This record gives sequence, C-alpha cells and structure tokens, in this order.
Amino acid sequence: MSKRKLTILVLGALLIGNANLRAAETAETEPRQQPVSDSTAVPFGSEDLSEKDTSEAGGNVSQAELDGVRAEIATLRDQLTQRLDKTIANSKRSLSISGSTQTRYSVSTSPNKNGFLFNSAILSLKGYLKRDYEEGKSISYTLGLGSNTSYNLQPTDAYLQYSIGQSLDIDKPYLNVNIGQQKKNFGLEATTTEDKQPAINLAQFASKLGLSARDIGIRFYGDLFPVVDLGYNYRIPLIEYSLGLYNGSGPNTADTNQDKDIEGRIVINAPAGYYSPYRGLALGGSFYRGKQDLYKGTTLITKGEGEAKKIRYGTDLSYVSAPFGFTAEYVIGKDEKALSGLTLANAVRATTESKGYTVTLFYEWGEQFYKNSRNQSRNDDWWPTTFQPFLRYDHWDPDTAVASNESNITTLGFNVFFAETTKFQLNYSISDDKAVNLKQNTFAAQFQFGF
Amino acid sequence: MKKWIKALPIVALLFMTVVAQAEEKPKVIRIGGGGNSLKIPAASGASGWVNDQGLLEKEFAKDGIKIERTYYTAMGPGQNEAIASGLIDFGSAGDLVTVVGRAGGLPYKIISTSGAGGSNIYIQVNPASGIKSLKDLKGKRIGYQKGTYLHLAFNRVLEAVGLTEKDIRGVNLVNADAQAALATNSVDAIVSSSDRPLVDQGVATLLFDTRKYPQFKSGPGSIFVTEAFANKYPEITKRVLKTLLKGYYWASKPENQEAIIQSSVKLGGTYKHIKADLIGALPPKERYDPTVTPKVLKDYQEIIDFAFKRGIIRRHYNVSELFDLRFQAPVLKELGYDKYWVH
Repeated sequence: MSKRKLTILVLGALLIGNANLRAAETAETEPRQQPVSDSTAVPFGSEDLSEKDTSEAGGNVSQAELDGVRAEIATLRDQLTQRLDKTIANSKRSLSISGSTQTRYSVSTSPNKNGFLFNSAILSLKGYLKRDYEEGKSISYTLGLGSNTSYNLQPTDAYLQYSIGQSLDIDKPYLNVNIGQQKKNFGLEATTTEDKQPAINLAQFASKLGLSARDIGIRFYGDLFPVVDLGYNYRIPLIEYSLGLYNGSGPNTADTNQDKDIEGRIVINAPAGYYSPYRGLALGGSFYRGKQDLYKGTTLITKGEGEAKKIRYGTDLSYVSAPFGFTAEYVIGKDEKALSGLTLANAVRATTESKGYTVTLFYEWGEQFYKNSRNQSRNDDWWPTTFQPFLRYDHWDPDTAVASNESNITTLGFNVFFAETTKFQLNYSISDDKAVNLKQNTFAAQFQFGF
Repeated sequence: MKKWIKALPIVALLFMTVVAQAEEKPKVIRIGGGGNSLKIPAASGASGWVNDQGLLEKEFAKDGIKIERTYYTAMGPGQNEAIASGLIDFGSAGDLVTVVGRAGGLPYKIISTSGAGGSNIYIQVNPASGIKSLKDLKGKRIGYQKGTYLHLAFNRVLEAVGLTEKDIRGVNLVNADAQAALATNSVDAIVSSSDRPLVDQGVATLLFDTRKYPQFKSGPGSIFVTEAFANKYPEITKRVLKTLLKGYYWASKPENQEAIIQSSVKLGGTYKHIKADLIGALPPKERYDPTVTPKVLKDYQEIIDFAFKRGIIRRHYNVSELFDLRFQAPVLKELGYDKYWVH
C-alpha cells in the first residue's frame, strides 16, 4: 500500500468517528505507567508481553476545543467528498499513468534535408490487479499506447505480470512471468530503457533483425544467487535469465503459423558489493529461434504460413558504474530465403548470415544515475542536472557472404538531463552505407520528455 | 647550543601552527543527513538547531567556505551511496549502516556519536495471529526493513528468546508497506520505529517495545567524515565537529526538549508518538551525550561481531578501523564539555 493510501486510511479513521478521541479521554482516567530507566529495566524473558500501548496523549482538551476540532474534521470531510465526486479520477484498481514523447530536429547531408519530427509518443498505464504483501506474489498489468512516425496510435505493451516466486525478500531469487504483448529480451541494445540509452537511434542490428519489435507470447524471467549490500539497499544477482515463447508475427498481429518462436537470455553479473570496482560488470548471451515467411527477394512464397528459419545469436559485455560506462554487443542473424522457385515445394533455399556489433563509451557529470541522490528531501523541483558525452560505433553487415555491403555509423553525442523525466540529446553521426554507396553526416537534436 | 635544543619544541609547535594555518581550505563543505517523510530539506534535534542558527555558515563565512547540505530520503544507505560516489564529506547515520558501509570498504570514519540514546523498536502484532509472547513469533510472518537499525535490534531480540531470523518468515517491507500489510493480515507482526497508528486504531496490539527493555535499543548513532577530507583538512574537520557538538550541548538541556519535539513534528513526526517514544528514555543530558567512550567502542564492536555472525556483513573487522578519535577529545576540552559530560 502506498503512503498516500495509508494517509487516506488514517484520515478515514479520523473522519469515521471520534472513537479515538473518546478513548483518549478515558485513558486520562486510567493510572499511567511509570517510565522505566536503564537501571530499572524489566527482566527479559519469554513471558506474556501483550498489553495495551503505554503512550500518553499530553494535556487535557476542553469541550470547546474538541468541538472545534470536530467541526474542522467535518469541513475537511465535506471538501474531500466534493473533490472526489467532481474532480478526482477513479479507477477500479491501482493505476499509475505515465508517458513519454520525443521531438526531434535533424539535418543531414547527401541528400540535403532537414526538418522537425515528432517521432514517438507513448502513454503507459500500470497498476496492481492483486497485491500480495506476504510474499510479493502480486499480479500487475501494463497497457501502453504508442504512436511512431506513422502517427498511428497502436497498443505497444499489453501484458500481465505475475511474480511466481516471492519478490519481497531481497536475499532470495525472483521469478516472474509476463503474458501478452511485450518487448523481447534479446541483448542490451533492444532492451535498455530509453532513459538509459545514450544515443537517439538504436544500433542498426536492433531494427534490421527485428530485435526491438514487440511480440505476443509468454516470457519467464528471474534471477539466482543474489548478492545484497544492505549498506546501500543494493541488490545484484549473480545470474539473470529469461525464456520466452512468442508467436513471432510481431506486434498487434495474430499468429501466422503453427510454430512458436523461442528466445532465451542469460546474464552473469559480477557478484560485487556496491563499493567495489567490479560493480556494474556483466556478461550476457542471447538467442532467438523461430520461423518467418519465405521470400524470394521481395516476393512472398509461403503466403503467411511461416516456413523460413530465423535465428539470432548475441553476446554482450557491459561495465556501467557511474560515472563511467562501456557497452559492447555482437549479434549474428541467420535468415532462410528462397533463391529460386515460386512455391514452397520447388523453392531452392539458402541462408543469409548477417552480423552487427556496436561499442559505446560514455561518461557522466552529475548525479542522475545515483539512485539515492535523486531522492532527496527538497521542497522545490530540484533535479541533479547531469551531462553525458558519449561515443558509439555501430557496424552492420546485412550479408556476410557479400563483400563491401556494410554500413558503419559513428556517433558523437552529448546528453543533458535537466529534469526528472526530461533529457536533451545532441547527436552528430557520420555514416557510410557501402551497399548503396551513401556517405552522409547527420546532426540531430532531440527532446525526450515524459510524465 | 643547549638553548637552541631547549627552544626546539617551541619552534616545532610554531611550525605546526603555521602549517595548520596554511592548511588548504575547501571551497565547500558537503554535509549529508537523513531526509524526512514530508521531503522538507531540514533536520530536527541537535543538527536542526545548528542548521537553524546557521552556526556552520557563521563559522566558515570568514574563510569563504560554503556549507552544502543534502538530506537523503534513503537515510543511512543514501549517505553511504553518496560517500561511495564522493558526493559528501560529512554525514550522520544509525549504527548498523556505518558498520555495513565500512565492512564494504567505504573510506569514512566516525568522529563522534550523535548521542547515546539510541532508538526504540516496536513489535506490533495482528490480534488474530495468536502471538502472545516473543517465542510465539516462531514460524510467523514478520515484516521489517532489512539493513536498518530495526533489522539489527530485532535480531538481538530474537536471539534473546532463543530464536534466529531463520526461525521466522521475514518479509522485507518499508514502514508504510509494513503497516498496510499488518492491517490487511498479510503479515502476523511488524517491527517498526515510533510511528504506530495501527495500535491507536485498535488494528494491532503492541507486543514488545524497547522502552521497557532498553538493552535492545539501537546503539548510538554516528557522525562521520571521509578519510580523505579528515586527512586533507584536519583543522576544518575539527571546526565542523566543534560546531556540531554545540548542537548536542543545546539539545541536552531540559528546557530545549519541547523545541526538539516541535521540530520533529514539523518534519512529519506525530507529537503523541514522539512524546510516547521518550517514555523510559535516558535524561536529555545522557541522551545527547556525543562522547565516544570505551562503552561506545565496545557497543560498536559487538554490532560488528553480531552483524558478521548473522551474515549481514561479509568482512569482520576491529572497531578501531571505524573510528577516528583524533578530533573529539580536543574539541570537547576546548568547549569545556569534558566537564559537562564527565566519564
């Protein structure tokens, strides 16, 4: 239960009646327990210790003062009731509303073009359907609605999450399941949340291999052997794992075949305490195996039946320990295609192997990424302004059997985090797409803001 | 020649004084502290009075040194993270937090306690749980926040009745969630600080509290400084401590107790519960005694031993690693407080 609800509970108890006030009046007539000092400490044992609270309420209150307090409470109650009826939104279950938007201006050479772009807007609704305080085996929901550059509003996330294992004891492992439309859990680039992504654009392989696209299915994920550093409320599991089963047809689409795509990921974290130079060091491995429509060039052969193999392997290494960060990721894709033939029976197949990798270095001045520094007792809209320069190299080879068809993008960027949910990004990219012999430089400035 | 030798100590003293005066000065002194439930950037008690009076600002204004205060809502763990990240120079926290922080290698030292009083813990139970005594906690679902003084004190209470944490079903809950869990019968009991509205509402009963068994209260809190700051600016460190100890002297006066309570109320405490928490407490003079006595060192060593034994820390160490005693005794003497707090 949130503090707000607890406050309402307490206020409600006050509003319901004056039983407590009467109890306090009664308590005054009862003999007060004498304070106990160190020297007169009660001998300690396992005897029955249940008893009434010994707290004292202070001085006497006159009838006039009591009537005044009652009148104030009645007024507050009326005001609260009116506001609840007229101006406060209600939901059947707990609800947290958030959203994010990106607005960008970019200039590029070859061809020369520039313009403003509103390239993403996401509204997200989250909450608990069932809250388990005993072990934290709660059920929660997430519903996201998003619009991209096509300006069509569509569901993004739409899933239930259930904590199969306990989730309250930080010393013990966690196990969860997500059911519905969700992001796949492959590698770093496609899964890192936007606020932690230094660059405006994802690495090329994330979109080219369909890693960043959502899908409909079920995913189990959890961790093992957690290391807890209680001095910082810091928890890091030695092993994190994820295993998912998806339609493989993409978001907002019914399954197009009988096969299901399977995805797995395992991450080994350095089992280090918070004040260790190894904190933030992690090595990950991911795989994805499924079926997709068979194409010959752009000609669809399997007519939505999903007969071509689709395989992805990836490994990643990261060291993110503020103020320094380093990430590297290497991904291989294998996609079956038809070389000839126009039917499934006479198609001659071949597998195209693609590969991509990216390396990112970043550094931060400021406290944005220190969890506790963000949570201070302040009565203004303070936020630890943080500056983050970064450098990223992104390589993509769509067919390793073909020479000189790679695309390389080097991005130099600078991010400014100046409010809790807002960052300003400057990216300068030098790209060279050898497949189409296109070299271009792009400058982009983007506000990413949310609520 | 002999005269020259005789003058050597005086020359050395003068030299040390000159060195001390020539000590490099920081541009800012960064002081961390615990936040409050209302997220108001202020402290109560001794620190609150020092802040309200602007004593640190006055002390260092002549040197052009700025005072920068940060109040972390995550309390001690928040300050530990700040120390680890080089964001603060001084801080104050509970006993277990600094013991755990130092075990993990944090480069700070305690230079004073924040009073000998310690903090109370309360064990509230759901009447339907059937818990009548501490031994009845065995096998029950108990909510409390790990890593805090509540965790440590509760462990000690359990041990006193022949139980350990493994004998109960511990549920890691922050105070607000723990209260809600108890009210909804999701846990059988909770370990909390002074805030206990559920008992007032008749939802829970009070099984145990350290007002009656003060031997299980938390140990003295700490005032700490980073080793780097203390070594680079020993004179500044001494002056900061001197100013803070004036606050403890003020807080130890009986006539200031009501002001301390009122300042706590302004930061989110409940008047009734703050008053109730003082039942059985040491007199103000003893409660706010900041002296690092042999007993304090013994208490801290016991905390280190206990935390290691219970697996709360993974490295055992000697209490001398945690304390820097260079500063407090001279400061107490300069202020004349060594005659006020006599040991």
